[in-house]
Amino acid sequence: MTTLFDSTKTVKSELNKQRYIASDEIATIAYLAQKLGKPLLTEGPAGVGKTELAKAIAGATGRELIRLQCYEGLDESKALYEWEYSKQLLYTQLLRDKLNDTLGKADSLSEAADKLAKEEDVFFSNRFLLQRPLLKAILSEQPSVLLIDEIDRADAEFEAFLLEILSDFQVSVPELGTLVAKHKPFVVLTSNNTRELSEALKRRCLYLFIDYPTLQEELAVVRLKVPDLNPKLAQQAVEFVQRLRKGDMRKSPSISETLDWANALVALNASNLDKNTLEDTISVLLKHEADLQKAKRQYINPPPPPKPRTDEFGKFSGN
Amino acid sequence: MESRILQLISALRASGVRVSLAESAEAFSAVDIMGIQDREEFRLSLRATLIKDLKDIPIFNKLFPLFFGTGTPPMMGGNPSDDMMPEEAQQLADALRQFAESLRQRMERLMSGDQLSRSELEALGQMVGLNQMDDLRYQNWMAQRMMRALAFPEVREALKELMEQLQQMGMSRDRIEQMRNMIQQNLQGMREQIEQFAGERIAENMSEKPRGEGVDNLMNRPFHTLSDADKKVLQHEVTKLAAMLRTRIALRQKRMKSGQLDPKATIRANLKYHGVPMEIKHKDRVRKPKIVVICDISTSMRFCSELMLSFLFALQGQVRKTHAFAFIDHLESISEDFSGSNADEAIQSVLWRMPSGSYNTDLGWSLNDFQSEYMDTLNGQTTLIVVGDGRNNYYDPRLDIFSTMSRRASRTIWLNPEPPYLWHGDSDMPKYAPLCNNVLKVSNLRELAEAVDSLLAG
Repeated sequence: MTTLFDSTKTVKSELNKQRYIASDEIATIAYLAQKLGKPLLTEGPAGVGKTELAKAIAGATGRELIRLQCYEGLDESKALYEWEYSKQLLYTQLLRDKLNDTLGKADSLSEAADKLAKEEDVFFSNRFLLQRPLLKAILSEQPSVLLIDEIDRADAEFEAFLLEILSDFQVSVPELGTLVAKHKPFVVLTSNNTRELSEALKRRCLYLFIDYPTLQEELAVVRLKVPDLNPKLAQQAVEFVQRLRKGDMRKSPSISETLDWANALVALNASNLDKNTLEDTISVLLKHEADLQKAKRQYINPPPPPKPRTDEFGKFSGN
Repeated sequence: MESRILQLISALRASGVRVSLAESAEAFSAVDIMGIQDREEFRLSLRATLIKDLKDIPIFNKLFPLFFGTGTPPMMGGNPSDDMMPEEAQQLADALRQFAESLRQRMERLMSGDQLSRSELEALGQMVGLNQMDDLRYQNWMAQRMMRALAFPEVREALKELMEQLQQMGMSRDRIEQMRNMIQQNLQGMREQIEQFAGERIAENMSEKPRGEGVDNLMNRPFHTLSDADKKVLQHEVTKLAAMLRTRIALRQKRMKSGQLDPKATIRANLKYHGVPMEIKHKDRVRKPKIVVICDISTSMRFCSELMLSFLFALQGQVRKTHAFAFIDHLESISEDFSGSNADEAIQSVLWRMPSGSYNTDLGWSLNDFQSEYMDTLNGQTTLIVVGDGRNNYYDPRLDIFSTMSRRASRTIWLNPEPPYLWHGDSDMPKYAPLCNNVLKVSNLRELAEAVDSLLAG
């Protein structure tokens, strides 16, 4: 059965049990989203654990996770529902005899039409409705967690289409009428901030910005997920990643890349972070050639530091 | 508390953050749930409900402590004479007596280790005209003026003198050092108090400030008379325009049908004919509109290039297949800059990368660049939009390239801030104009809106 969070502390500890380390900020806002019954819009750079958060929430509450991955050109029939035409067609063919039976007894044409009209619902019922993620989340018998991933990839029209669902948790299917959610799903939207989302969508959500973690947070994540890495090396590795992020990279390494790297270090049985190990493994962290070259220049083979100036004027250079 | 939250909300609005009524109502219900005991949770519940954009978070972080305090009152050092020996106190009193009356009072005030009272702060604020200020950029300046009104610099000098005198009078070094530290801390405490007060008062003034003039008025103002705040309002309008442009283009192209069979729709449509395919349904190929924009950001266009660029930015957000180029003396693709989500940053990066010189606009050469590298972006589905005044400094206008371009594109539209009667001198506009499908004058947002309208109506 589903358990809900009853304070920010439980959010934190429950997420922790799902091996997700939530900061106070994440815990507070997630708790608030659940309390207010509002969708949670998380933004932040790629790979900081936005999708993980939704998974962890689903795990912690014991709810089913229903995921909708957005992409350009995503439309209603892929996100919401579709009539299963071939099945409908098959049924019409197979049920022809039965139809003849039903209609055969009719005395007049209009009576037959009436009878047929009564049966009409058979062909437009849930039986022939192919549920896509959104409808599934709404019709689900059990409360669920709906993850709408990378909403910024979908077109602006799709956002508009989501509004009804996000504010009222209902959808209109022309043939069936309005379907209202039995249980309000816990909705998490993620966005990589590649374009600005519409005001209307933002208004309906609570906003959570997840940034790159601090040194301690990231270290905690590494220790939790890669327990085999020795603590000293973990510290060094995380410090190195944090330093890379400060540099001007085309694509800064994300947490997931830090974890990959940590795993790589374990696999290579590295004992400390020397120059060779770094050179061999840094491609796990950086995915752009330009970044790689830069990192090698700046951090692995740094040019000899300029000689400290000893002349009199050197003293004033800071001012 | 409630009125305080409302003030915060209006101050946010005054700083250009869009907070809707629904959101402020939500902030209240969030606060109801989370309570106000935990300051951090209180802050987060307001932030999560009111702020929906990364770039607005710093504004919130600045305003929040101004309305709800920083959580820690400024530390005061205490009164150094509290634990002095009688003879030391006597020395201090003697030393102080040498200063002028007004200065002495101030020094004593500073040494008392008490915080400034509300009424003292009010009086100071009154003195420096704090009540007229409604922009946080003045916070530091105001705080400095208030400190000057307290004669901080003079007092500091005088204190130095005082210490020297005390030393001469034979007070112990440790005692003087201790006194110096205490006074230093008192000074720091007061400074924090003053800064906080100045910020609070300005923020309150901001929240009372009447709302800025309506969008309607702004739309009629020429681009070069707009202030930063106005531009922010307009950027929103510009986004709307771009959305409009997108839907119109999409509609025009959607109506066309291509020959691909849609089996699903065909079966369904022909159920009524007992499955005999009488009506053939085609796939509605939603042809994605493609736009190529070439924007002049040279000196003569600078006043409006920021707005035009934000239009391009919005357009790129709406229409994925937008290729945006900017030119001064050569052409550069700026689509890359616009791939982020922050309009201001993107625009600044473009303007910074392509600084304008004097008299170096060269559209002809830029067209040459276009021909050699980007000609393949133009095809039958492309709408080509040129933004510029066509002032070419008598360089070769390269009409040959331009006519090829306009032939390849399905439509060519020129947006020019100058009306036709100004097209003389170094303007090559009369030569370019016949090659375009439309030439429209766009010098304010209203005209930009009308241009978009008329472009797409036909």
